Amino acid sequence: MTGTSFVLRGLRFYRGSYAGVLAGAALGAMVLLGALMAGDSVKGTLRQVAEARLGKVDAVLAGGDRMFRSALADDLEELKAAPVLFLKATATAQGSGRALGNVQVLGVDKRFWKLGPGKGKGKAPKEREFFVNKHLARSLNLGAGEALVLRFEKPAVIASDAPLAGKAAELIVLGGEVRKICGKKRFGHFSLENSQLPQATVFVPIERLQQAIGFEGKANLMLLRDRMNRSSDDLSAMIRVRCSLADYGLTVEDVPLADAVEVRTSRIFFDRKVADVIRESFPAAQPVITYMANTIAANGRETPYSMVTAAGPETASFLPADSNGAVLNAWEAEDLGAKAGDELRIDYYALDAGNRLVERSATFPVAGVVPLEGLAADQQWMPDFPGVAEAEDTADWDAGVPIDLKRIRDKDEAYWDAHRGTPKVFLPLEMGRELFGNRWGEFTALRIPVAVASKEEVSERLLGVMTPAVAGLVLQDVGRRGMAAAASPVDFAGLFLGMSLFLMAAAVALTAMMFRFHIELRNRESGLLAALGIPAAKVLRWRMLEGLCVVAVGTGIGALLAVAYTRVLLGFLETIWSAPGSGSLFRFHVAPATLVGGMAGFVCLMMLVIWLTARKQARQSAGLRLEAGTEELVRTPAKALPWWALGLAAAGLGALGGTAVLGAAGAFFLAGFAFLLAGLAAYRWELMRRVAGASDGLSPRRLAELNCGRRATRSLVVAGSLACGVFLVVSVAAFRQHTGDEWRERDSGAGGFAFWVETTSPVDDPALLMDEGKGFGRVLPLRVGVGDDASCFNLNSVVRPRLLATDVSALTELGAFPIKNVIDGCGKSWNTLREGEVMRAFVDESTLLWVLKKKLGEQVVYQDEWGREFPVEIAGTLDGTVFQGSFVVDEARFLEHYPSAGGARVLLVESGPDIEGGRAVLQRSLADLGGSVTSTRERLEAFNGVENTYIAIFHVLGGLGVIVGSVGVGLVTARNLAERRYEFAVLHTVGVPGGITRRVVLLEVGQLIRWGLGIGLAAAIVAILPSLHAGGFVRSAVWIGLLVLLIGLNAWFCSWLGYRRQINRALSARQEFQ
Amino acid sequence: MNSNSPSDDAKPMIEVSDLSKNYETPGETVRVLAGLHLVVGAGEAVAIVGPSGSGKTTLLNLLGALDRPDGGSIRIGGDDISGFSPEEAGRFRNRSLGFIFQQHHLLPQLSVLENVLVPRLAGDWEESAAETEARARDLLAMVGLEHRLGHLPWQLSGGEKLRTAVARALVNRPDLVLADEPTGLLDQAASDKVADLLLELNREQGVTMIVVTHNMALARRIGRVFELQDGGLKEVAG
Repeated sequence: MTGTSFVLRGLRFYRGSYAGVLAGAALGAMVLLGALMAGDSVKGTLRQVAEARLGKVDAVLAGGDRMFRSALADDLEELKAAPVLFLKATATAQGSGRALGNVQVLGVDKRFWKLGPGKGKGKAPKEREFFVNKHLARSLNLGAGEALVLRFEKPAVIASDAPLAGKAAELIVLGGEVRKICGKKRFGHFSLENSQLPQATVFVPIERLQQAIGFEGKANLMLLRDRMNRSSDDLSAMIRVRCSLADYGLTVEDVPLADAVEVRTSRIFFDRKVADVIRESFPAAQPVITYMANTIAANGRETPYSMVTAAGPETASFLPADSNGAVLNAWEAEDLGAKAGDELRIDYYALDAGNRLVERSATFPVAGVVPLEGLAADQQWMPDFPGVAEAEDTADWDAGVPIDLKRIRDKDEAYWDAHRGTPKVFLPLEMGRELFGNRWGEFTALRIPVAVASKEEVSERLLGVMTPAVAGLVLQDVGRRGMAAAASPVDFAGLFLGMSLFLMAAAVALTAMMFRFHIELRNRESGLLAALGIPAAKVLRWRMLEGLCVVAVGTGIGALLAVAYTRVLLGFLETIWSAPGSGSLFRFHVAPATLVGGMAGFVCLMMLVIWLTARKQARQSAGLRLEAGTEELVRTPAKALPWWALGLAAAGLGALGGTAVLGAAGAFFLAGFAFLLAGLAAYRWELMRRVAGASDGLSPRRLAELNCGRRATRSLVVAGSLACGVFLVVSVAAFRQHTGDEWRERDSGAGGFAFWVETTSPVDDPALLMDEGKGFGRVLPLRVGVGDDASCFNLNSVVRPRLLATDVSALTELGAFPIKNVIDGCGKSWNTLREGEVMRAFVDESTLLWVLKKKLGEQVVYQDEWGREFPVEIAGTLDGTVFQGSFVVDEARFLEHYPSAGGARVLLVESGPDIEGGRAVLQRSLADLGGSVTSTRERLEAFNGVENTYIAIFHVLGGLGVIVGSVGVGLVTARNLAERRYEFAVLHTVGVPGGITRRVVLLEVGQLIRWGLGIGLAAAIVAILPSLHAGGFVRSAVWIGLLVLLIGLNAWFCSWLGYRRQINRALSARQEFQ
Repeated sequence: MNSNSPSDDAKPMIEVSDLSKNYETPGETVRVLAGLHLVVGAGEAVAIVGPSGSGKTTLLNLLGALDRPDGGSIRIGGDDISGFSPEEAGRFRNRSLGFIFQQHHLLPQLSVLENVLVPRLAGDWEESAAETEARARDLLAMVGLEHRLGHLPWQLSGGEKLRTAVARALVNRPDLVLADEPTGLLDQAASDKVADLLLELNREQGVTMIVVTHNMALARRIGRVFELQDGGLKEVAG
């Protein structure tokens, strides 16, 4: 007989005893591997989503509201470029009437499909055809052949809220027939948003879309595939050499009357950055700003709606060099009866801090009068103001600002007919910059003397100095970023491991206990082997080998079970992160390394536990093992135990006190762990004290005490398992999120606003939507900037959360939303966002902690609209607000970096008493803008729902742990009864009634359960108290009480099962005994 | 030579001097052996009797290096086993000692023959496995169990179990056999058979034997009898 055959014989003979070890190992492995597989599945799914989203696209050239030539793609053939005209629209299925806002409309040609996933085959839609993706088709219940209508605002050359941006909000309606429904393989998942949630998409022939919006030959997005894997700088350089001035929105024209060449921008106002580049390249370039005055008045007379130009004397030689007065042309001087020295007033529109259009006035002395001839009569002073430049008559003006046509006189009309937008007043340049400069720029033209450079020379040099980035065409490395974002900020393997920790600990403890039972069962064997001189190391090795066989098989079974377990976990995740109706998101993935590593790790863990258990036995003397059999050696009470208990409790309190350093979660778990250990130390001490203590007499209670103390380790394992379960379940229950009517309060997460409104098109004047007695209160408009949704609904890793910009003075005035913490030296006020050298942001604490994983005071780098990087400082945290996933910043500071940003696309709206009625009115009012209205309560509930789902998973896993712990109670009960059957036989023989015996057993079980529940409950309550709001705890108290009751009953039930199985057998042992 | 010395014609196999052993129990320290002396010659058979709790098994465990004394020394075959490391003690038991227990402690998963072969599991025996197995078969034949080789322990009677344990104790050709209440669980007839077997072993194979027993009849048959009282030994017959 060899050692191997001895081991195999032992495995076969003790297979029943090893079944418990096997079950425990299988359970533990299932939980561990399931957590790892869930992590792999989430990672794999996000990677797949990113691949489906971006196809073969490595980078994009994004213009936003800046258009470039779609022909640029032809020049970039080596990059497999595909031009796209990208808009947002509201889509309505004509058949069902169902509508969906925020739909991405992609004007594409056949090149787009070549960049799709896989072989990239696919035909482009033709003429009136639309392709839609599956998400949109499902959302609108849309099928091929059905009619679809798209509604969207016509893009403007400049942000629609800019003064003189042209006619307001022209709504374009585009109808077509759905020809094809594109799935993942047909690039139907295309999206540039780093999110696993699908975007509703309509694909339209690019030429048709260009025609519809009046931007023939233009695109605002270029998809690029770079097989050479070039750096961003190299790609930029490649694009730059192919760009023309038209791509930068620049034109160069001769101005014969000024002997100059004029550079103009299609955006009317030069971006400051562009102006700087041109002026650096042409130091002789002279700026010009032409603007519309609502009124020019002097001597009690006034002229309506006229152009005013500000320039330097180098450009307009009739302007005196040393005067800050105005020069009128002769027509205007006559109209006002003005002469040099008179006071002139100019009224004009400007935007105030809240982005409201206001009329301002300025007065100047009249410095002189210039004849309406030559340069003073040049119509080229006026830029091509949309809605004005092309107007036949003044009555046709649609400048995008309020114009009172009644004020326009016949002579004004005659002037327009004769001189168009020739300025009537000339101002010094600095005066004009001060009055008419706005966030879009300060100049409407730059004039370069012909003596310096000809038109051709200017054009050539401009191409040499301009870059796409300066023109606001930003190259984004979406491929790399997309794949990086697919690495979720939440380490799901770690998360589930953390959440399963107790279950695993319970399974491992159960396995260890079962192994210990087994070892005890073979105490005499081990004693005998020692007595026969078999080296202890060899016996230990055999035990380990047996354990390894059992654990390995258990782990294998656990791995199989883990596949099913993972699917259950993924099912939980689906409830959070799948878009409604979009089908199943998560796919099962497991990396071989994860599987092998997880299994090996678990086997190692179990072998460590088995080694500790077996080694403990090997340390006992052979004689003791031979004598004691399954008995546990009772030690004298350790005097240090009470001090240990007190010390651990103090450490727990210390951990709670150090919440600021350890973080809330760290402090909670550390404190809970310390309190649990303190409770168990106290229980151990109590067990020993009772065993060693004097007794007044033998009673069932005394017998029960002695029995619990006799196998102190078993008692501790059982009470400990229960305590851990209670701790986990109770503490997690206390953190359940409740959403009540608090949203009405200003200091709530809803700030007192009833509705969260998101629109497809920007809302330039939100207040106008709320009048007409609709019953709404205050409206808080928020501009939406760059960045990704970093809320808990986005599984992707987000580096730059979406910027939400609003006038923070309104929030300060309201005292709305709970500001939790701010950086040192700042007040807990929204005005903090206006201070500091860099832009500051407030962010929801949960976003900061779990998604960004940053701390207060840290900075996040953004790119402004010219691609320049700038930091945003995290200046404060908000506590559970509707802003989760975004950085809230001050509007004024936001516009410094994004002057072209459109109007508000998020509105927070106060409601009257009829919430549902209000929602309906709001929905109707915003239909054309593609508004989607959510109540803030629903939004908060949705956020809380994510947290509550985590808690539910925690509960399920904790609950399983409690069940395992309770099974442990049952097993211990059964085991104790089986081992003590002779003891019961003796009691029976000496005439002790069976009822007394049963009482002893029940008292023992009761003690274990009582201590387990007590320790767990006490530890949980102490650990969670500092983090609880009183209201939350009261609401959770009933739930907690119920849970504790259930845990207690479950433990009783399991022990009763064990009791029932063994008691009769134990009592019948008297036959054997006698 | 005091009363605990070996008989005149025997070389000392066991020399125990000033042996003491205590046990810690909750609340008190129990002195089991105190100043115990014993000298047993090679090939001698000695019985140790005494009331329950007097320390008989403790003494046997100490002689078998299963436990370590708190004081004094134990020399067996000239070696001071009280200073043995656990490894040395194991090797000593495996090579030089045979143990017979009242409970016989057969391994339930092994057959009778395999139970006898268990000591070989130590693994470093010089003789071949076949030689050991042949001797195990001879020993089992000697104890009258040649027809039970493949049986499992639960299929044996109490006497058969004990005889298997005796065969196991002899499979390593020990110099010394320690028997703890070998007849304690047997009826008279079985008890006599075991006593015959032990005495035969002692006489014919020259195995030194220490038998702890309550059975005065067995003790008397063995010859020298010591009584364990108050932690020490007193020779009461011999």
